[in-house]
Amino acid sequence: MGLTRRDFLKTSIAASTAATVGMPLAKEAEAAVKASEAGWQWDKGACRFCGTGCGIMIATKDGRIVATKGDPDAPVNRGLNCIKGYFNGKIMYGKDRLTQPLLRMTNGKFDKKGKFVPVSWDKAMEVMVDKFLETYKEKGPSGVAMFGSGQWTVPEGYVGAKLWKAGFRSNTIDPNARHCMASAVAGFMQTFGIDEPAGNYDDIETTDTAVLWGANMAEMHPILWSRITNRRLTHDRMKVVNLSTYGNMSSDIADIEIVFRPSGDLAIQNYIAREIVKRDAVNWDFVNKHAVFATGPYDIGYGFRPKNAEKFAPGREMEVVKNEQEHVVDKWEAIAQRRKEGEVAKQVDAAGAGKDWAISFEDFKAALEPYDADFTTAVAKGDPDESDADFKAKLKQLADLYCDPKRKVVSYWTMGFNQHQRGTWVNEQAYMNHLLLGKQSMPGNGAFSLTGQPSACGTAREVGTFSHRLPADMVVNNKKHRDHAEELWHLPANTINPAVGSHFTKIMRDLEDGTVKWAMVQVNNPWQNTANLNHWIRGAREMDNFIVCCDGYPTVSAKVADLVLPAAMIFEKWGFYGNAERRTQCWRQQVAPVGQAMGDLWILMEMAKRIKIKDVWGEQKVPGLKEAGFEDGKLPSVLEEAQKMGYSPDMSLYDALFATPENKKAFPWPDKVAKGHDNHIAKNLGWFPEKAMFEEYRKFGTGHGHDLAPFDVYYDDKVRGLKWPVVLKDGKWTETRWRFNEEYDPYVKKGQGIYFYGNDGKAMVVGDLDKAGDGSKKVDISGKAKIYFRPYASPVEQPDKEFDLWLCTGRVLEHWHSGSMTRRVPELHRAFPDAVCWIHPKDAESKGLKRNDLVWVESRRGKVKVRLETGGRNKMPRGLVYVPWFDESVLINKVTLDTTCPISKQTDFKKCSVKVYKA
Amino acid sequence: MNISGILVVAKLERQADVVEALAGLAGIEVHQVDEASGRIIVIQEAEDIHAEIDGVKRIKALPHVVMADMVYHYIADDDKNYEEIPPELVEQEQACSVPAYLNE
Repeated sequence: MGLTRRDFLKTSIAASTAATVGMPLAKEAEAAVKASEAGWQWDKGACRFCGTGCGIMIATKDGRIVATKGDPDAPVNRGLNCIKGYFNGKIMYGKDRLTQPLLRMTNGKFDKKGKFVPVSWDKAMEVMVDKFLETYKEKGPSGVAMFGSGQWTVPEGYVGAKLWKAGFRSNTIDPNARHCMASAVAGFMQTFGIDEPAGNYDDIETTDTAVLWGANMAEMHPILWSRITNRRLTHDRMKVVNLSTYGNMSSDIADIEIVFRPSGDLAIQNYIAREIVKRDAVNWDFVNKHAVFATGPYDIGYGFRPKNAEKFAPGREMEVVKNEQEHVVDKWEAIAQRRKEGEVAKQVDAAGAGKDWAISFEDFKAALEPYDADFTTAVAKGDPDESDADFKAKLKQLADLYCDPKRKVVSYWTMGFNQHQRGTWVNEQAYMNHLLLGKQSMPGNGAFSLTGQPSACGTAREVGTFSHRLPADMVVNNKKHRDHAEELWHLPANTINPAVGSHFTKIMRDLEDGTVKWAMVQVNNPWQNTANLNHWIRGAREMDNFIVCCDGYPTVSAKVADLVLPAAMIFEKWGFYGNAERRTQCWRQQVAPVGQAMGDLWILMEMAKRIKIKDVWGEQKVPGLKEAGFEDGKLPSVLEEAQKMGYSPDMSLYDALFATPENKKAFPWPDKVAKGHDNHIAKNLGWFPEKAMFEEYRKFGTGHGHDLAPFDVYYDDKVRGLKWPVVLKDGKWTETRWRFNEEYDPYVKKGQGIYFYGNDGKAMVVGDLDKAGDGSKKVDISGKAKIYFRPYASPVEQPDKEFDLWLCTGRVLEHWHSGSMTRRVPELHRAFPDAVCWIHPKDAESKGLKRNDLVWVESRRGKVKVRLETGGRNKMPRGLVYVPWFDESVLINKVTLDTTCPISKQTDFKKCSVKVYKA
Repeated sequence: MNISGILVVAKLERQADVVEALAGLAGIEVHQVDEASGRIIVIQEAEDIHAEIDGVKRIKALPHVVMADMVYHYIADDDKNYEEIPPELVEQEQACSVPAYLNE
């Protein structure tokens, strides 16, 4: 026949492609696939990148990954993959992969000012633990920090959280998910009393309307976007609305594009609510049964340092940071918050930003009154070249879509809402409108918060690796929750520290002011991903501290660290991820780690081996514990109680918390679930820690609405992840598609219809728009969600004469986060090699600049050099520029502002002011 | 050389035109056509990923194409021994020194 190997290969790839998307196969094609894939072992896995959670199939041969393809059986992506997804198999093999521990040394000894020198794992661990104990003795539990990750696997996050909270009695552990998800979490917890979306991706195929609020799905969640595109093309009624601060790829198929001014989303949502009320479109049956109206304080600050800011905010920075104490109400806020322009508002509620109280519907309605079309247009229109009339017409169309009782609506958002100075508020406003309309927790109807990271939900949120959290939505500052965790973890009473630890940005501030002197980084890049970087780079390099960075590549964070540990990457280890629709999915180790690299879970356990109970369970200095009923400043010794429970003071944390005799016995390695796959960690430790830890972790959620199936169920060949709560029904582990809905959710009783059980047993104080009441009147909110009124508030830094442009940051399709993996794939790197600064052509022209010019983008905090782009995929309105953050040679976070939502502590990366001029 | 399997969806009534247009593109072979659903499977050969992505973009830009997405990506053979320390890292001091841009 004269077929070359390449022809053969092509026939086979074509056949696989067809099979993947469910097209029937010709016989010859099937034979071709079999022949060309001879000796390949295919196994299921989850994509390493975004929160969509696509299923992929990985083929290995002779210990190497030879191919990847979309998993035809994966309900999320049905065989499709985005451009990044294809390179799951290649990201481990960048030329500069870290293969051995590196320690800064001079003359054979650790020296903070020294150069990196390769050392053995043993030496690395020895120095690391010495430094840890030195700091722990000096500073106590709050002096040692962990920068964790929404890219940690579930068992890794669980081990990290348990080691910190149970072992070190420190809550200063916070994931990079703080930068991406915290506002969503706070919104869920405040509104529903339980975290994560009610709906799932099947909403796409059942809805009539997709409204994107600050989510450029076409670039950031391409596979979900292809499902929306498909729905748009096959369902006549389907409408797509794209709300953004600039025109992007998602506008291409949108029926309506609304470009709004930064923070204008707060006003637009209230405009919709006002329309719902005015048009009598409130679903009163739903609202009366399932909701209560609420509000909270307005003067909550901007998430800067609460005290002594002037010591750390040099020069021009203080012009913005001073708002943390006092803020002058501007003309828009005066209308939006029913106050006087120029009033000096002391930010008295900065510390209690999250407190709330119930209000009447009349109060709620009165609060919405200012948000008419005129006001909303004045404050929210984002494109100066658009007419007021056009903008108003679009607002009305948007309200029409929401209000139509026959129309199903899903609102989607990601970083546009979450990275927002009022991120919690704007999340809550989305629920406000869906709850008013009764369009929530039903197929095709709901407010849906998407995630950016592959396990922001599964690990960061569900495992509870935040500074205030414990597994399954529990928190450290609740005694009942601590008691429960101590019981499940077999800890002496009062082991867990009741003081909330430092959040991500605060850990950076703590390093800068010397509060934290030892920090570890796992699966993330804090010195590229944190706003106002110049401070944190100085904090790392110039202060007396010790920073450990575990990574596969020499990232910026590795470069500023003192010790770099080579970490195993995705398919070099076993793991679980949890995606944005509550789907928990798993994979096996496919290939051996490169060089001496080891999994993060092993690094944590190896560290635990070297720390004894007596090092950490004696009395500890922790400031301010009175409120929790402890003696002020003292976390009590639990050594005596521990001894009664059988823990000797010389026992290591590894033996006490992880390698217990029960775990070693119940979870031996090898295990038949491996099906011939290796596990470098289990082999090293002699037992199966991923499985043991997963099974232990499951106990937290079982019976509490967070139920997971047993470990082995997820590894079943037929299972493609399961959406929690997963309960045993008729002998089968069954997932939950729509939560709070009787038809789908096992936690809702027959006859309840919709029931928001997260708030069961809770009550709210009744007050009015301006203040909480005296506490004498309370309302029971069992089974109910809260409909918040939240006002418009202006961004704390806005363009002025000197810094005349808004700066927005974010991602691009080709790169994942800080580019530490995708930039190592030569092909992806070449596809989008360097960050650019997108700008409106007229803005460029007025500054005497043109496309491809090298420019400085400068703020009050710092500046970077970058090439100018006036065309391409993003269309800037005049007055706003966009610079992606993946490129470590354009560290745009030197320029951004470290303001956070005061409730969620999540940074606003979407708005600050800059000037742009020729470099 | 990158080989990718691409799913193209054409408007049903114009599927034949799309197939013809695809066949005229360099590096593209049409392998399977499903007339019931408008779906077409093509194989694309491209020099590198840059060309591969551009290749998909030019398919998306064809008239009457509803969608085009890569489904299968073949990783070409590579004899590199990954157990070795990458040569760049032999010069540890250079590879991991604090880069000048951090101090700009």
